[in-house]
Amino acid sequence: MATLPIATTAPAPRRTWGALVYLRTMLVFAAVWAFVAWWTDNPILLPSPLAVLEAAIALARDLELFEHAGISLGRMVVSIAIACALAIPLGLAMGLNRRFDRIVDPTFELLRPISGIAWIPLALFIFGIGNALPVFIMTYAAFFPILVGTVAGVRTVDRRLIDVARTMGVPQRTIVTRVVIPAALPTLLVALRLGVALSWTAVVAAELIGAPSGLGYAVEWYRELLATPQVMSFIAMIGVIGYTCDTAVRWLNRRLAPWAEARR
Amino acid sequence: MTATLALRDDTWWRQAGIGLLLPIALLIVWQLVGTAFGTVRTPLPTNIVKAAGVMIASGDLPEALLQSLGRVFGGFLLAATIAIPLGLLMGYSRAVERNLDPVVETFRPIAAIAILPLAILWLGTGTSAAVAIVAYAAFFPLIVNTVAGAKNVNPTLLRAAATMGLDRMATIRTVVIPAALPSIGVGLRIGMGVGWTAIVAAELAVGAKAGGGGSGGIGQMMFVFYAYSIELNRIIVCMVAVGLVALVLDRILRAMMRKLMPWALP
Repeated sequence: MATLPIATTAPAPRRTWGALVYLRTMLVFAAVWAFVAWWTDNPILLPSPLAVLEAAIALARDLELFEHAGISLGRMVVSIAIACALAIPLGLAMGLNRRFDRIVDPTFELLRPISGIAWIPLALFIFGIGNALPVFIMTYAAFFPILVGTVAGVRTVDRRLIDVARTMGVPQRTIVTRVVIPAALPTLLVALRLGVALSWTAVVAAELIGAPSGLGYAVEWYRELLATPQVMSFIAMIGVIGYTCDTAVRWLNRRLAPWAEARR
Repeated sequence: MTATLALRDDTWWRQAGIGLLLPIALLIVWQLVGTAFGTVRTPLPTNIVKAAGVMIASGDLPEALLQSLGRVFGGFLLAATIAIPLGLLMGYSRAVERNLDPVVETFRPIAAIAILPLAILWLGTGTSAAVAIVAYAAFFPLIVNTVAGAKNVNPTLLRAAATMGLDRMATIRTVVIPAALPSIGVGLRIGMGVGWTAIVAAELAVGAKAGGGGSGGIGQMMFVFYAYSIELNRIIVCMVAVGLVALVLDRILRAMMRKLMPWALP
């Protein structure tokens, strides 16, 4: 298994200046967009940025935007919780016990290349259309990076720390909670970030095909109505939530494992 | 993971033997429980193998896989031809990066599949929409890793190049690109993985939303088996095929990287 590749963005030189540059670039982008929209002159194919903004405000005022976002976000939180509850203990066991790892690891390695999305048709048949399908797909998508990250994290623990604890007569249970978990935490949190990103990608696919609600469903619903401004508003909402979740996990990362930033 | 960390006194077949124990046991349990309690539709390992044989012999499965692979390569090439030069430029020049980074960072969190409804609207339900989705999906890992690689150039080398009077293009060609290659390789690998996932999703969704239109591909094939002829055995064959292709693609890219840039891999 490869290490988890995470691209870090460069720190902005100064916050306000960075925000200004951002605004300037996006204004140019919006201007180009507006020009192309005016040029094609087809509000169904490409509505103007103002029309999209209007639609987004109307959807926000109806709370429809937030309702679907809340549903999708709720599903993701549940899925991540389930994935963590399954993958972290398993990963700890696999990282700590080599024999267990050798027995179990190939099974997961065989399953891992099958992407969560490829499970959708079978899961549709098993669970039908509803809440269970997206939750299953997202849990599956988040499970593997978290498992791999936990195992990798446990492996990076300095053996001497465990030996010292053992020499001092610390019981195995306490070694796990006080030595192994804190040392594995930074790697685990990086994996969590990847898991959240993957499961958020999967939710859109799962909802697009097999859920009666949520952001993916809303995007598809408005596409069928040819209401492109609404489609774009929901797509933007998917991006906003994706970005917010990523920022939240990164914040958690800094709070829980401040020493990891320097190490990476 | 097991291979590199395994104890030295074990031969490979013993390691593989222990590892295969659990999957084989699970398959046997599945087969037994399925025959004992299942209905006619319950997929069984033996029937899945039979279905795989039929699908390969008839040429349906290879054809669908090739069609999907063609789309992935198309989208991947499109993404690479835009993302790699742009990423090198962004990594090399601070001004270009500052001005373009907001656009990249704004669109990066939007999942490729979310763009699918727009792609269908603009490009129809055929191959071009699927290619666009793959290109969009692969673009972001490629550009982010290229920028990171190009930024990571040893400043001493850049100064040496400047001292020796190299112009910008020559500096990029001889200093920046070789230094960025390992990182670009990582981007290629991630991009390929993401692109393959995206093609399955795109074909599935097109199949689901376009009423099983004839655009083909492995994703579409799976959807047809789900929606029109309920054949779970065949769906599972497709899933395994998707996984195998993902694995093979990754292995090929990794082998290529090891050949082309041996310093890149740990």
